Amino acid sequence: MKKILFSLLVVLIGVAFFNKAKAQSEEELVQICTMIAGDADYLKDFRIKLDAGDPPPVQRFPVLLKKDVKYRFTVCNSKDYEGKVILQLFDNNRQLATTYIVATGKDYPYIDWVCTKTGAYHLVYSFRDGKAGLAVGLLSMVGTM
Amino acid sequence: MKKLHLIYYLSLLAILSQVFVSCNSCNKQGVDVTQDLYVPDSVVEVAPPQVSKAVTEQMMQNISSPVETAALIKGLKIPFNKNFLANTKQAEKFNTNFEKAFALGLYGCDLGYLNMYEKTSFVVDYISTIKRLADDIQVGQFFDFNTLKRLATNNENLDSLILISQQSFNRIDTYLAETNRSMLSAVIVAGVWVEGAYISSRVAQISNHPKIRETIGEQKTVLNFLLALLKVYDKDPSMAKLIADLDRIKKIYDEVKITYEVGEPEMVEENGVLTFKQTDKQVIEMNDELYQRLIKEIQTLRSDLLKL
Repeated sequence: MKKILFSLLVVLIGVAFFNKAKAQSEEELVQICTMIAGDADYLKDFRIKLDAGDPPPVQRFPVLLKKDVKYRFTVCNSKDYEGKVILQLFDNNRQLATTYIVATGKDYPYIDWVCTKTGAYHLVYSFRDGKAGLAVGLLSMVGTM
Repeated sequence: MKKLHLIYYLSLLAILSQVFVSCNSCNKQGVDVTQDLYVPDSVVEVAPPQVSKAVTEQMMQNISSPVETAALIKGLKIPFNKNFLANTKQAEKFNTNFEKAFALGLYGCDLGYLNMYEKTSFVVDYISTIKRLADDIQVGQFFDFNTLKRLATNNENLDSLILISQQSFNRIDTYLAETNRSMLSAVIVAGVWVEGAYISSRVAQISNHPKIRETIGEQKTVLNFLLALLKVYDKDPSMAKLIADLDRIKKIYDEVKITYEVGEPEMVEENGVLTFKQTDKQVIEMNDELYQRLIKEIQTLRSDLLKL
């Protein structure tokens, strides 16, 4: 009985510390993303964690973007997961921008968006090929136009 | 009987493990656990909002940001004006958690304006006021007062002032959502919006720049989102009053006509940076009389809410 309880205690404490490590990893990703974003002023970060799936699961965040502002969208992947994050910017159902250009197969750590219409937009994050992944997306402001 | 004992011990262990998990997260954030345990009844939402909470919480993430408005004003070479900001002595007039949350947003917007103009000599006064208000609604632990004070006092790394100020407010927002106090998050957002609209309205009185006129006009879009968010909590009497106050402005904004011309975004890659340029056009129609009425009403509303 004591052995069972001791084993359970070890497992539960292990889970507790694992949770702590996972949270720190997300904070680290935010810091890395902030550095990649460079001089752009930080506005908001988004935590993305998705399981593997087909079709690839997505995580959506509605945001309000303002006219005459140049925004920067930065993405950072966790090394602990295989998935490479993709950001797509949508206005209603229309894709306006993305960090992954299918035609060239090129991934960008950040993209800039020159906004000419104040309104609601959707940030849609997914992982390439539907792999599981952990990532952080950063919204920052490069400047005004 | 042995099975019962086993279940009892397992339950006890599960509770203890949760305590460990909670304390870990508390240590990480530097949270005072005693503050977590004390949540006044007036702060906790009695009934959860009917509209999807996840959607409303996400919506409020950046409905109103002090950084963009301040950057736009500074970008137009409009000089800094301390008189545009709320006097920190006014903060003493806010008594309830609702009022304090509103003031937190309002002074947060002023802090964004100060940071953008790098007026560090005033920053300490504002962050002290914000910290007091944040402490009063049990979110002070997420406002990184010491770092902000050090940055402002030493006049060092001014970009970090914006970063840490923004992150502090985002953490407050997240924590309020996690503790079922999303309504206060919405009130903070309302405070940011009112002060941002007010500063823009003051700038509009000294500058004829079309971008300022457009900034005032496009607040119609922002206000509509804000009201949709606030209406989730309209059963609360304080919120109902705030909504009624904002509705006064909305009625005027209903006369503003905004139309859009849709275009295809252009993609340009320069020096390895991929930039997408939106080609949609936003056209705002309002005559001078309507414009002046909006400016006046925004300023009246802000005076009322600031108890001037």
